[in-house]
Amino acid sequence: MTKIEHYGYGVPGLKRRTLPGKLIVLEGTDGVGRSTQIALLLEWLEANGYAAVRTGLARSTLASRGIRQAKEGHTMGDLTLNLFYATDFADRIEKQIIPALRAGMVCITDRYIYSMIARAVVRGVDEEWIKTTLSFALVPDVVFYLRAETQDLLPRVLNAGGFDYWESGMDFLPLDDPYEAWIEYQTRLIAQMDAIAAEYDCTTIDAARPVDEVFFDLRGRISELLVEMRPARLGKKME
Amino acid sequence: MATLPDGTPLPGKLFIVEGIDGSGKSTQLDLLRKWLTNEGYVVVFTEWNSSSIVRKTTKKGKRAQALTPLSFHLIHAADFADRTERQILPALKAGAIVLADRYIYTAFGRDGARGMDPDYIRKVYSFAVRPTVAFYFRVPLKESLQRILVGRPTLKYYEAGMDLGLDPDPYKSFRIFQGRILERYDDMVDEFGLTVIDATGPLVEQQQTVRLIVEPHLEGVLEVERVAWSKALVEGQLHGRYLPGLGYEQ
Repeated sequence: MTKIEHYGYGVPGLKRRTLPGKLIVLEGTDGVGRSTQIALLLEWLEANGYAAVRTGLARSTLASRGIRQAKEGHTMGDLTLNLFYATDFADRIEKQIIPALRAGMVCITDRYIYSMIARAVVRGVDEEWIKTTLSFALVPDVVFYLRAETQDLLPRVLNAGGFDYWESGMDFLPLDDPYEAWIEYQTRLIAQMDAIAAEYDCTTIDAARPVDEVFFDLRGRISELLVEMRPARLGKKME
Repeated sequence: MATLPDGTPLPGKLFIVEGIDGSGKSTQLDLLRKWLTNEGYVVVFTEWNSSSIVRKTTKKGKRAQALTPLSFHLIHAADFADRTERQILPALKAGAIVLADRYIYTAFGRDGARGMDPDYIRKVYSFAVRPTVAFYFRVPLKESLQRILVGRPTLKYYEAGMDLGLDPDPYKSFRIFQGRILERYDDMVDEFGLTVIDATGPLVEQQQTVRLIVEPHLEGVLEVERVAWSKALVEGQLHGRYLPGLGYEQ
């Protein structure tokens, strides 16, 4: 059961108090392994009979394409980008997340408002403003903050195709060198995420460990959370 | 003076017009624009929902009727943010005149009428530049409806407020929706110190009132160098037949 709570202003028209599903968020900076873990968790959940669904940043029907196109031109300002992402997030909350929770599904979300806030604050956007703007977000049942240092992330990022313009903060940092920019930006971002994770009670997971260890860790924690959803005759233990 | 939200004055001037559909505000702004351009000022014009990078998404959402009051609000805020960041702010910093057809008050009126929390809406738009003068063209609902509906135009889904389920008939829905917006505008006159123009009066009279209010703010505003080439023509003994606008082009 997800109790419907918001961080401020609610979603207009949402009158119910609780929803039968579970909202699980995986947070963390670029290259930390969120999508790998989500892929493993989804399969595991489904194997155990849970209807599970994933959603992620900039994956809304409404705004994903617009965001992608706008980012290609590198011309988007900070406020615009944040409001564009907020639109995308609103669309996903209302059209994907709430319906899934209402149907009793386990909804795993790849990133949530926390990294949106972190990436905005690092760029000098007013912290109160971005928090308020995104305050219609449902409070998740649990937020896992996958955390690793830049040295741990570097090989993964390089392996996955190198330094992305936005993930290196090249839209605002006065650095021309992608490597230097990436280190500088990710260091700042991790520090900001640490602060936000503490403020919003996120569970920090050491993501520098091998994939299997991180997975077993997450699996154990999620099992506990899902106990109440399990029919009694199946027992408490999940495979 | 146009000012940043923190009170910092900007060298340029921002004049905006507001009012419900059919109030005649766009006509008046267009007349103001022509006058200011004729007077030689640098004028930048911007209108609601026109950002080149956001508009496509808004259109898509409207066409699919996929926008909720929340996403409707946020996508219009994104559009406005883009115009603020790339159009309005740079022009005002450079000392130009910016004319805006509809401004944040449109969002406050429409999204408020859609049930969004008024406080939330105001906070989302808190980055907006405070206008030098915000004109509100006030017109009774009956009059504006008459102007709009006389030719029985096809009303768009969101324009008519059909998303609110007020009435299955678009015309009835439009009336109710516009009425709600009008109430909100009237409340905003005091809240934001809007300059009310009686939009039932003759157009010429309205325009004269607008110009009288605008004129005192024009001192020191960026002007276009008038006929910059005239000296070159005289000194160089040229006719300027290839210069644009002199009628020699053909």
